[in-house]
Amino acid sequence: MKPQGRNNDFQGHAAVTSLSVLDTSQPHTFLKPAKRINEGHDVPAFLTSRAYSDIGVFIMQLNIAMCPRKSSEPGGTRTWQLDGTDVLSEPVQKLRELLQKIDSIIEEAPPDTGPRRFGNVSFRKWYEILESRVQALLETHLPRAVLDVSASSDGTSVLEELTPYLLGGFGSAQRLDYGTGHELSFLAFLGCIWKLGGFSTEKSQDGELERSLVLGVIEPYLRVVRRLILTYTLEPAGSHGVWGLDDHSFLPYIFGSSQYCPAISEGDSMPVEGALPDAPNPGDVAKKNVVERERKHNMYFSAVGFINDVKTGPFWEHSPILFDISGVRSGWGKINKGMIKMYNAEVLSKFPVVQHFPFGSLFSWEQDPKAPPVSASVHTASQPTSHPPSMNSTTSRPSQTTRAPWADSKGKGSEEGSTPAPWAQKQSAPSQTGLPPTRAPWATSAAGQLLASGERTGGMPPPPPAPDGPTKAPWLNQR
Amino acid sequence: MSDLDRAIAQLRACRPIPEAQVRELCHKARELLIEEGNVVTVTAPVTICGDIHGQFHDLMELFRVGGDVPDTNYLFMGDFVDRGFYSLESFLLLLCLKVRYPDRMTLIRGNHESRQITTVYGFYDECLRKYGSANVWRYCCEVFDYLALGAIVLGASTSLGESKGLRPENLSSTQQDDEGIEIELLNHTGGVIDRFPRGQARNGARSSPSTKSSSSPAAKTGPPDPAPGPQARSTARRSNVRSPLVRPRRDRRLGPLPARAGFLFGADIVKVFNHANDLSMIARAHQLVMEGFKEMFDNSIVTVWSAPNYCYRCGNIAAILELSEDSSGESMLARSNGDVNRSDGGVMKGNDKVLLAGPARRYRVFQAAPQDSRGMPAKKPVADYFL
Repeated sequence: MKPQGRNNDFQGHAAVTSLSVLDTSQPHTFLKPAKRINEGHDVPAFLTSRAYSDIGVFIMQLNIAMCPRKSSEPGGTRTWQLDGTDVLSEPVQKLRELLQKIDSIIEEAPPDTGPRRFGNVSFRKWYEILESRVQALLETHLPRAVLDVSASSDGTSVLEELTPYLLGGFGSAQRLDYGTGHELSFLAFLGCIWKLGGFSTEKSQDGELERSLVLGVIEPYLRVVRRLILTYTLEPAGSHGVWGLDDHSFLPYIFGSSQYCPAISEGDSMPVEGALPDAPNPGDVAKKNVVERERKHNMYFSAVGFINDVKTGPFWEHSPILFDISGVRSGWGKINKGMIKMYNAEVLSKFPVVQHFPFGSLFSWEQDPKAPPVSASVHTASQPTSHPPSMNSTTSRPSQTTRAPWADSKGKGSEEGSTPAPWAQKQSAPSQTGLPPTRAPWATSAAGQLLASGERTGGMPPPPPAPDGPTKAPWLNQR
Repeated sequence: MSDLDRAIAQLRACRPIPEAQVRELCHKARELLIEEGNVVTVTAPVTICGDIHGQFHDLMELFRVGGDVPDTNYLFMGDFVDRGFYSLESFLLLLCLKVRYPDRMTLIRGNHESRQITTVYGFYDECLRKYGSANVWRYCCEVFDYLALGAIVLGASTSLGESKGLRPENLSSTQQDDEGIEIELLNHTGGVIDRFPRGQARNGARSSPSTKSSSSPAAKTGPPDPAPGPQARSTARRSNVRSPLVRPRRDRRLGPLPARAGFLFGADIVKVFNHANDLSMIARAHQLVMEGFKEMFDNSIVTVWSAPNYCYRCGNIAAILELSEDSSGESMLARSNGDVNRSDGGVMKGNDKVLLAGPARRYRVFQAAPQDSRGMPAKKPVADYFL
């Protein structure tokens, strides 16, 4: 199989910007998706796999499509909102109907009224019904082009490869929970359809197709998921509590922040700062009235609105990460950039999240020859292993390198001891020719920190998160 | 006022103490804990608490409901940290109280008291945010290494009340048996809203705790739960032990946990274990239960959960388990302040020296602390990814 959509170089030159569509005129060898990430050590291999690269490219492609566009009339701007009335293409329309049918299974599996621990056991019934119907549902609702892809003679069908991604998108029936790993699975389901030419084999017109996927499929999917969470009180899978971005979701924060970015022209790269003139202030996420207004139009606020629906207590206390982000002064462009970095670090690089992701022929475990080496990072260092690291130097000398920049923020700017984000400067010039950002940027731009971080790792198992460097997403710089 | 008392006062106000003090505190705590066994012995009466998870304001609520230290003898089963906003303040306060009143406070290690788990589930991030460095996290993790892994409670009451002339071995009716368990509902000031024996709850004479919790958000997402717990006997015979990282399951035998983090076990294993070790009951934590507590397998095991409205959203109520002392009175320790700010619970009456037989065990259930008492943070630091 050819490498898909890999960003060929990371210095911002002409890069592949969308997941490439397979040539389906030849029979394709489908594979039953299989679990490959069995322990923390497998995560670095995932980060250099073709699947990882494809996921990144797909997200960036959807992300930029949601960004407002400069329109031909002077001063005009085109934006896309949740309640817009864009005509949906037939494949998207059919997936919407699929989601409606999946949603309506809830009526057939009302929540159990008996004693329960937390998650409602009727979710298992809901899931069983979905499993029993998924084959027929997919045969009805998948694009013709996908169903017609001929499988090579030895057997595995297209449905056998696609079904686990769809089923994996609706939480765990065993654990009665839902989290970003499930969200990722659904995204991969859409990615599979994309690769098989199910949406179109033509190049999308300035993101039109991608937008219809986000607004026409992903947002309705999130609505189904929210209803499942409410109906069956699904636990947040692997929740970090208040220290996570959101108990269940991540993608709406990426696409929603993109919706508020300053308008770009076709072919431009993603803005890294600034905002659409009439976008709400980032600080408005803490204002209930603004959230109520904006949640109808914007995915970010729609997600925050759901948090307000389910959580009690002060927003800054139950959602401190979102609260912090609401203080970003450089606009929604900056927030969008940060969300991508955070997704790469907190979702794609975390063993507990990606361990359940299965790999087949479309999202392949095969190593991507062009993938940059993955440096050991906080995200891989604190992964579970079968052989726990030695804890013998737990009293190692405290190091100042772990200082969080914002811990000193009492009116001071970033000073010594803070960890500058090198890409923050680089990113403003997308076609810069500096060092490849996929090499841990701090390695050269903050040499002192590299030294200090080496000192720190002397037997201390979980190094402090330095969210720049290693969390850099290789696919970040496309366009 | 000693430095320690000052630190306690500051932490009670939910204000972190300076790094140097944390270092000193953790050093003292280690010196103390190194003398304790991996399984410590605690004498009844004791109040057993489950997960806290950094819900500081709810921990304060717990102390209002259960009595303050050192008046009440506490056994916390771990998971002090992670997920909540105030893991640091919660754990440091408990640790201060441990150092200040070592005989009235027992802390055992939960699965979250580890380096690996705390880097994933928030405590690490919280320390970094509150101190700007990982030093405090490091000091705390060193203390985690010294925490006991389990506790055995000795001298817990087996009696359902000497005054009633009942002995557990004479009991045959589960109805009578249930009189040994009392459920008490408390309001935010520690006042008793309602109190009733478990038997009544099961028989539908009263509503269950969860249906009582009118302000509970659980009502939004699902129907009220019926009375918690399984049927049949309940006796607190002689001692009580808990063991972490194992989850009971309804069926029998052992099986691996879904998350590969331990073993699932069923009623037969629990009963064999209790019999072999001469225990009447296992108390455990680390699994959310909507009613705050849940007894299983003929009351041979109980899950206690002490974080109300877990993660600001679960709508659960919280519970603590009070084990009263046996009739010998040897383990009796009068509360120094009598019953100030606390219901008499039937344990004490009039004169402090007169001990009336209370229920063998009492679950006090409580709800999340009111939110209006919390101040806004002064600053709004920026998350690293967004710099």
